[in-house]
Amino acid sequence: MTGSRKAAWIIGAIVAFDLLFLALPTLVVLVASFTPGTIITFPPPGFSLRWYGNLLQARDFADALWRSLQVGLVCTALSLPAGTLAALALARFRLRFATGLQIYLLLPFTIPLVVSGVGLMLVFGRLGWLGAVWPVGVAACVINLPFMIWAVAASVNHLDPDLENAAANCGAPPVHSFFTVTLPAVAPGILTGALIMFILAINEFLVSLMLTDARTVTLPVLVYNAIRSIITPDLAAVSVVYVILAVAAIWLLDRLVGLDIFLKSKQG
Amino acid sequence: MASTIHDKGAGRPVGLRLLDLLEAARELLWPARMAPLTPWLFLLPAVLLTGLLAAGLIPLLDASLRPLDRATFRLAEDYALGNYATLATRPVYGVIALRTLMAGLIVTAATLALAFPYAWMMVRTQHAWLRKLLLVSLFLPFFIGQVVRAYGWLIILGKQGLLNALLDGLGLPPSSLAFTYTAVLIGLVQYMLPFAVLMLAPALTAVPVEVELASASLGARPFATFRHILLPMARPGIVAAGIVVFTLTLTDFAMPEIMGGGGNDFIASAVYDAFFQLGDAGLGAALGIGLTLVGSAVVGVILAFFGLGTLGYVEGREERS
Amino acid sequence: MSEKTFSVSRRRLLTATAAGGAMLAAPWAWRRAAAQEKPRELIVRAWGGVWVDSLNEGVSKPFTEMTGIAVRHDLTEDNEIRPKIWAAVDQGRVPPIHVNWDTSTNATKSALRGVTEDLAGLPNLKEMLPAATPEGFDGVPLVNMYSYVYVLAYREAAFPDGPPESWDVLLDPRFKGRIALYDDGIGFHPVAQIAGGGTMAGVPGDMQPAWDFIRKVKEQQPLLGEDPDFTTWFQNGEIDVACTILSNARAARQNGIDVAWTVPKEGCKVDTDGMWIPKGLPGNELHWAKEYVNFAMSQQAQQKWTSGLGLPGLRPGLTPPEDLEGDPAFPTSPEDFERLLSVPTRVLVEHESDWFQKFNEIMQG
Repeated sequence: MTGSRKAAWIIGAIVAFDLLFLALPTLVVLVASFTPGTIITFPPPGFSLRWYGNLLQARDFADALWRSLQVGLVCTALSLPAGTLAALALARFRLRFATGLQIYLLLPFTIPLVVSGVGLMLVFGRLGWLGAVWPVGVAACVINLPFMIWAVAASVNHLDPDLENAAANCGAPPVHSFFTVTLPAVAPGILTGALIMFILAINEFLVSLMLTDARTVTLPVLVYNAIRSIITPDLAAVSVVYVILAVAAIWLLDRLVGLDIFLKSKQG
Repeated sequence: MASTIHDKGAGRPVGLRLLDLLEAARELLWPARMAPLTPWLFLLPAVLLTGLLAAGLIPLLDASLRPLDRATFRLAEDYALGNYATLATRPVYGVIALRTLMAGLIVTAATLALAFPYAWMMVRTQHAWLRKLLLVSLFLPFFIGQVVRAYGWLIILGKQGLLNALLDGLGLPPSSLAFTYTAVLIGLVQYMLPFAVLMLAPALTAVPVEVELASASLGARPFATFRHILLPMARPGIVAAGIVVFTLTLTDFAMPEIMGGGGNDFIASAVYDAFFQLGDAGLGAALGIGLTLVGSAVVGVILAFFGLGTLGYVEGREERS
Repeated sequence: MSEKTFSVSRRRLLTATAAGGAMLAAPWAWRRAAAQEKPRELIVRAWGGVWVDSLNEGVSKPFTEMTGIAVRHDLTEDNEIRPKIWAAVDQGRVPPIHVNWDTSTNATKSALRGVTEDLAGLPNLKEMLPAATPEGFDGVPLVNMYSYVYVLAYREAAFPDGPPESWDVLLDPRFKGRIALYDDGIGFHPVAQIAGGGTMAGVPGDMQPAWDFIRKVKEQQPLLGEDPDFTTWFQNGEIDVACTILSNARAARQNGIDVAWTVPKEGCKVDTDGMWIPKGLPGNELHWAKEYVNFAMSQQAQQKWTSGLGLPGLRPGLTPPEDLEGDPAFPTSPEDFERLLSVPTRVLVEHESDWFQKFNEIMQG
């Protein structure tokens, strides 16, 4: 009994540390964004909404934010089917060349982003895709796709194969059993994956830098370019906008389906 | 919530009728005899999307085989191995590669150690509020990109930062963590933590709580339960999280750039420098391709070692293929 | 030849100006229209902060007032826009910007690669100092606009006895971990050559003194960064000494940060920045991009732009900003330049990336 109490204590301590560790830089940045000064400091020497005022006035910022949301949507819309199907194929079937396939599908993580950026710029340039916003979404999908695949694959564990077999034995044709048995079972993984894809897409700057120009610049690229010459607290203010977006999204999700969906499938 | 298979006939809900329609379309486009190829059809979109990246590697592979001509700032017409020779002969690349690989190992180990209890508590807790707190704490920092979080860390770790203010208050000597290797590692672990938790959680959910309880009631100590029950059963999630954290650390650019103070470059920094600072696409491509090969090799070894169990594939079950 | 082309287009310009006004009503229509019609906007690459602010005040805003063409500034770094432009020209695409404000060294690399338009015949070019026109090219692939000096910037509070007299201060144990350089060592290589006991004649042939000096500097654990880092580091008390461009130090000081600068006895590296236009623009956009570069050379624009930057323009007859008059970091006469360390652009083009690599090798070791 003492053993399990000690274990609970250790786990509790680590989790408490994690919570602090996760929150600290965010909190610091959030608080620092209210500085009246011209530089990010903590604690801020006073309270001011100056940098938020700057953001509101900056037309560039609103345009770039809108483009980033588009990028996030394109990326998520593409990765949902592509990632889910790939994960199911990899997890449910014994495939030839599976290891080779895994390595290929992990290229987005093993190729450094600088190289991906230059490579995609050359490919998209050839295809005549540069100059629009949607290809940036495609790129964000390509470079983060393993997240979607792995998130779904990890939750395939939920999927009791007997259930699928039972469905098949009852005469349920493939599409039916896919939509009524398979998908609901892996829904937590799909949702987790989709959220990760969206978040990463609206934060992507290194590859986007190569694929955007002044007319299609996304918010992270705008911020990245701005801080190359001078670091002002609007960088922090931008983050607060993202956090507000995040809170809204999480609240909405909780109201609509409940946050537990990330952990438990609604099946069974 | 499990949907049941209704009898065909009148009064079927709209949803099911839609499915019938899809089923008919499938029958037309992908008849039953194609079933063995279904997994490959499922893989096609992901393979094509990744193909865009692979296609981008082709001109870069070509570039890596052409040294830069500084009279015209174009890559040479003829193939040569000069760029790869540069990699092999300049000791600085060895130093940077070693530093990057070390970071990959340390960050992966530290992240998994921190993420596992977090994921476990998130999955196992009986308190809805705690689970919600853990989930929200995971997602909120997630929305803030790497660059901004790095600046947050600099405020904390800087010479006149929060940490030193705290140490000073406690009467301890100041630390100077900012712009060190340690700072880069701290930043990376914090960045990777949510990814790892989100990969681990589904795997842990799949371990029935009854198994853990049974193990405990049979007198197994918590560590033994962890080692013999949780660890093997959650292996797919652990390996997935490990691969993700390791490969992302290996190729990371932003953290060493911002938190390293310039003296703690990773391989991606060298790739960046070659492409942008030196304007030598051939050298940059050679470095990038080298890094990709190393990363892929490590992934290959892990996959070979742990087998296909890593992806939730249920061993011994021959599916419809 | 090109002068003639340009004067023709200049005459056409007058009629086009009127047409351009009408075109503004249908902003997309100019794409299909014939050459010389006004584009809706020009995209000019610039560095951020004080750099883009000065350009905007001195050149872009007045240009827009004059022509009605909006100017959008692309703050992509000079190093990062280069591969984008090169790839665009290689693939026959329209480049992402109209005018590149660039270091002379990087601009020359692009010129050697053949991705720059010829600027010969721009009327204001005749008014500029000879240094504005690069040597060794058939035409004028780029125009140098002003000089700038990599000064020794320091925190005054750390130097109660007055400014440091020598770059040796970087080796002072007092400042261990409190010094900063550009992450590729730019602006510092020739300084290290002299401070290490070498001569400018040894550049680029014998730079051992420079590397020896930089190795000693490495022992002092310098921070390596870019323009914004220096400002932040001074502000946050991370550093006391840095090698940075005068404009950055001056902007920091104007923002109330405790920073001053000096030209130590060894001298400071002086260099130039310029502008160029990438190949592949539609005819009318090329025309107006040239107008922009031409305007940047005008008396009015040079005066305001370079005063904002605190840098000496390459046009005679400019009035230095009050706070910089007589400052050795603001060279105007040949004697002023004598005290500074200048490396010919062609030498930089050929050797600077080796110096970057060598510097990096020492710093990462």
